[in-house]
Amino acid sequence: MRPCFRAEPMLAVLVNAVMLLAASAVRAEQPVLNAAPQAKDWADLARLPDWSGVWTPNISDQARRERADPLPWQPRAAAAVAKLEAAEQAGNPKGLFVNCLPESMPSWMLITHNAMEFLFTPGRVTILGEADGNRLRRIYTDGRSHPADPDPTFHGHSIGHWEGDTLVVDTIGVLPETYIAPSEAVGIPNDGDLHIVEHIHLAGPDKLQDDLEITAPHVLTRTWKTTRFLFRQRARKYDIVEGVCLQGNFSERTDAAGDSVFVPTPQTEAGNWLPPIK
Amino acid sequence: MKLPTHGVMAVTLMFAGMLSGSPANAHHSFAMFDFNSTVSCPATVKEFRWTNPHVTLLIEASVKAGGPPELWSLELTSPGNLTRLGWTHSAFKAGDRIEIQFNPLRDGKHGGAFKEAKIVATGQVFTSSVRNANDAPSLK
Repeated sequence: MRPCFRAEPMLAVLVNAVMLLAASAVRAEQPVLNAAPQAKDWADLARLPDWSGVWTPNISDQARRERADPLPWQPRAAAAVAKLEAAEQAGNPKGLFVNCLPESMPSWMLITHNAMEFLFTPGRVTILGEADGNRLRRIYTDGRSHPADPDPTFHGHSIGHWEGDTLVVDTIGVLPETYIAPSEAVGIPNDGDLHIVEHIHLAGPDKLQDDLEITAPHVLTRTWKTTRFLFRQRARKYDIVEGVCLQGNFSERTDAAGDSVFVPTPQTEAGNWLPPIK
Repeated sequence: MKLPTHGVMAVTLMFAGMLSGSPANAHHSFAMFDFNSTVSCPATVKEFRWTNPHVTLLIEASVKAGGPPELWSLELTSPGNLTRLGWTHSAFKAGDRIEIQFNPLRDGKHGGAFKEAKIVATGQVFTSSVRNANDAPSLK
């Protein structure tokens, strides 16, 4: 059996010295901080276009584009899409999102029927969605670049900058399993290396336009360019309400102790909640 | 789906071209519902689930001619979207007598897409078409 290593006194000193040098090298790397915003940074926000209010997607236009604005699918994906479309038209839609994982990017922007709002803070634009606690995009506008190898996430890593009144957003690092979905029942996993560029701007006083360029080299033959519209809502009845998708998988019941509890309720594969219901 | 009709229930055939796809409901497609037929009948509310991603109204109704009252589950869009149509979490309560209209599941199971309901006691009517409410700005 090989003997245990035992450092001789001189060797131990040498090893310690090397370790100390390495540690000091690590300390020399200054962490990159998020700078504390100054008064000017807050004042600069006032010069940005007014995207206040709640924004609801143009659902009719989404539906129209399902046929009028087809994606350039690669042959394998096109065949799968044709099957999904046929199933939906036959009344057997695939429940792509019934597991309540986020619709993700770019599908959130493409097919959501729910409201969203845009928050401007120094160095960042944040998009908050409704009807799913996970619908959230952080777009860094502080000049940073993407990480060299970002951890894949549902909405990816987004950096943005303003070109006049247009917010240009670049997104990478989206999980390959997430769908590029032209409808709630038709979608193909992006399979990785997804890259999305958006130009978001007001197309009228109360109409927001998102021009998307979606590059998905494993499933699309070329970059797909498409557009979605949102309408501004100021009435208080449009204020964003909390929405937790998984809540729909539970019934509100009273247990034997008299406590209010959630009880799991099975759904069908297509996401329906049918009798018998306990 | 074939549904028999009787005095207070009617299945209305509609022109398919009048509907541009399913109504606005996120999370899952509504293609499993037959929007070419509408079931109309009196019903009793058993439970009103004000939950994401789909609000659900459970009703008891005799949809089959002469049959016993049976439980049906009717799906709607999200609480947020319905709020903009004037709904609240207390829009319906168990025991409410209603006149219901819904589009049934194609496969004959006891589910449907909510279309409209009138509460008999108050005459209040609830609809669920969110496109009319959302597809234009509302600035006041």
